[in-house]
Amino acid sequence: MSDAVRIQTEDFSLEEETHELMKSSKTIGGVVSFLGTARDFSEGRDVAAIEFEEYKGMAITALKELRLQSLERFDIIETRIIHRIDRIEPSGQIVLIIVGAEHRGEAFEACRWVIDTLKKTVPIWKKEFTPDGESWVTPHP
Amino acid sequence: MINVLFFGNLAAKTKTREAQIEADNIKTVSDLLKILMEKYPELPKSYYMVAVNQEKVDADSIVKDGDEVALMPPFSGGKI
Repeated sequence: MSDAVRIQTEDFSLEEETHELMKSSKTIGGVVSFLGTARDFSEGRDVAAIEFEEYKGMAITALKELRLQSLERFDIIETRIIHRIDRIEPSGQIVLIIVGAEHRGEAFEACRWVIDTLKKTVPIWKKEFTPDGESWVTPHP
Repeated sequence: MINVLFFGNLAAKTKTREAQIEADNIKTVSDLLKILMEKYPELPKSYYMVAVNQEKVDADSIVKDGDEVALMPPFSGGKI
């Protein structure tokens, strides 16, 4: 079984990750996933590719902590979090959150909470490559 | 020596990802930041978070020889 929390360069498969999640318990009755993908347009500019940089060590620790927190805060059974780094072309997969629960309500809430919290607490930065050059993306308040 | 890491646009501004700073006369994060701002005038005065040995800290936190200090701009959140 692959780790439930990973940061990796290579692509991932939603189907495989869902399969792995389902193996964790036969009491799962609902699975909710969020898949973040790369756009080719941002802030009025064409984007040829994006690149993610992590703080190695701290980023995976923060993701693992996020998974544990989701299991404590919500009535869910399992959470998987996979984030890619390095260069990703438009339409490429970036981040996947999958939550399994007995019932859908908590699974939806937990999935939303995990991705929103990830964006604020995990040391990963995004750079966009545009016709004007490359620039780091700063978050909007 | 204190090993300083710059991430995201801070690496772009300082034109380096890493710097070694002599630990003499440095007791706190604040002391280290003063020295870094002299060395890298393009470094903004605020706007970033600091981690010592991969733990988020504040300006009063202790820094000592051999520590790894990361300057981290806000993580790239994206719109909801």
